[in-house]
Amino acid sequence: MNNGRPVVLIVEDSALIRMGAVDLVLAAGYEALEARDADEAIRILELRNDIDLVFTDVQMPGTMDGIKLSHYIRDRWPPVKLMVASGAAILEESSLPSGSRFFSKPYDDHTITDAMALLLLSETPSLPTA
Amino acid sequence: MARFRLGHAKMLLSSFQSVASAVLPSNDALRESPAPEANFMPISPTLHFEAASTLAVVVSSHEPLLFLSDDLKIIAASASFCRAFEIDPASVPGRRFSELGDGEWAMPKLESLLMATASGSVNIQAYELELKRLNQKTRQLVVNAQTLDDGDINHIRLLVAVTDVTDARAEARLKDDLIRDKAILLQEVQHRVANSLQIIASVLMQSARRVQSEEARGHLHNAHHRVMSIAALQRQLSTSPGGSVELRTYFKQLCQSLGASMIADPERLSIQVTADNSAVEADVSVSLGLIVTELVINALKHAFPDERSGTILVDYQSSGKDWTLSITDDGIGMPAGSDAPKAGLGTGIVEALVKNLGGEINLSDAGPGTIVKISHQESAGSQTSFSNAA
Repeated sequence: MNNGRPVVLIVEDSALIRMGAVDLVLAAGYEALEARDADEAIRILELRNDIDLVFTDVQMPGTMDGIKLSHYIRDRWPPVKLMVASGAAILEESSLPSGSRFFSKPYDDHTITDAMALLLLSETPSLPTA
Repeated sequence: MARFRLGHAKMLLSSFQSVASAVLPSNDALRESPAPEANFMPISPTLHFEAASTLAVVVSSHEPLLFLSDDLKIIAASASFCRAFEIDPASVPGRRFSELGDGEWAMPKLESLLMATASGSVNIQAYELELKRLNQKTRQLVVNAQTLDDGDINHIRLLVAVTDVTDARAEARLKDDLIRDKAILLQEVQHRVANSLQIIASVLMQSARRVQSEEARGHLHNAHHRVMSIAALQRQLSTSPGGSVELRTYFKQLCQSLGASMIADPERLSIQVTADNSAVEADVSVSLGLIVTELVINALKHAFPDERSGTILVDYQSSGKDWTLSITDDGIGMPAGSDAPKAGLGTGIVEALVKNLGGEINLSDAGPGTIVKISHQESAGSQTSFSNAA
């Protein structure tokens, strides 16, 4: 949270899709941060401790794809909520950390903002956010 | 391979070199012995002439064939065999199997199997082996062998079919590789399509959030719905084999996505899908999906003003090549006459697609609400239907 506004980090290598995701997050009234790949996302997560939710693509260049990134985040920053989107049609939510949500592309903006609102409402069982 | 029963024809034909062969006294050819020759102990050699017709059949066989005596001496080899394995036909008769060519056929395991076949204890079925020749690529062979039963137990003959499957195997491997490559490529393409559709959908939604005019926003939202309708199909296609689309699943996905973005209060409005088990080709399903999209959007926008609650029902039933798609709402009904709204892009899209599918649109009052029925009757054009006569 930043001044009472939830902070959402968007991880997406396609510039136009990232732009669209940032726009929808802003329109939903959240603060948006953006990263082009997993490594950049991790750097941002290390710098800021107010990120509430990470919305990531799966297929990205770099050392980690979105699935690995989501597991990494769950291990290192357990309270951060996770949403994953992919152009691959079938992806089991079971391959993702528990509690994270999967969406196939193209996703509907409303579906994404509804899911974000639900996840941000839900209480984190572990650490309270700083 | 069929079993041949040979007659005891003892005639000789000059065109074939008949081979007089000795008959073995015993059949214990399988006995393990380093030199098979040791078994070959004719007691009272009897002359036995091969039927000329048998030899003719063997020699002219399209499939490489060998005709052997029970001590694995070659009585005849088909021309196809000599050609396939580069063996001089003149060198063949009377030679031992293992001495064929430059000795490349001397394979102890095969020889022992042939001996066992001659003794009647086994039949060689699709035995696979590799033929290795100097300065030549190894060939993969499939061997089938069986004895010919001519009623004379002292006159054992073996028919050995040798098929070179090297090329066929290579072709099958190539085909497997191609199929795998194709699957990977298809996945890649689907992934790209999904991403491209995401870009289009994102851009449309960004524009919709920015424009001031309510009407322009409506048009952008409609464009977004059309893109999502095609995306739902794309998703359905990528998970269904054979390129056919199961309509119920597709329509459900479609209506779920339309509802998610257009229905603010799911308690007030809902969309239901009741389609039969029909599956149609991809291009037909694109049209049907777009028609459903347009008609559902239209009903959501116009049939339930002033917080009116209700249900939209999407149904598809088919029988043979005939089908009916209907979108029914229990809203306020369509205004008629001068109150009827000017036909928009949506109407144009529906009309064009229905025409393309060879269907007819029928609009009627559902009391309350409206039924839009699109039906396709295969028999409607050329044949006179019985029900029409009534």
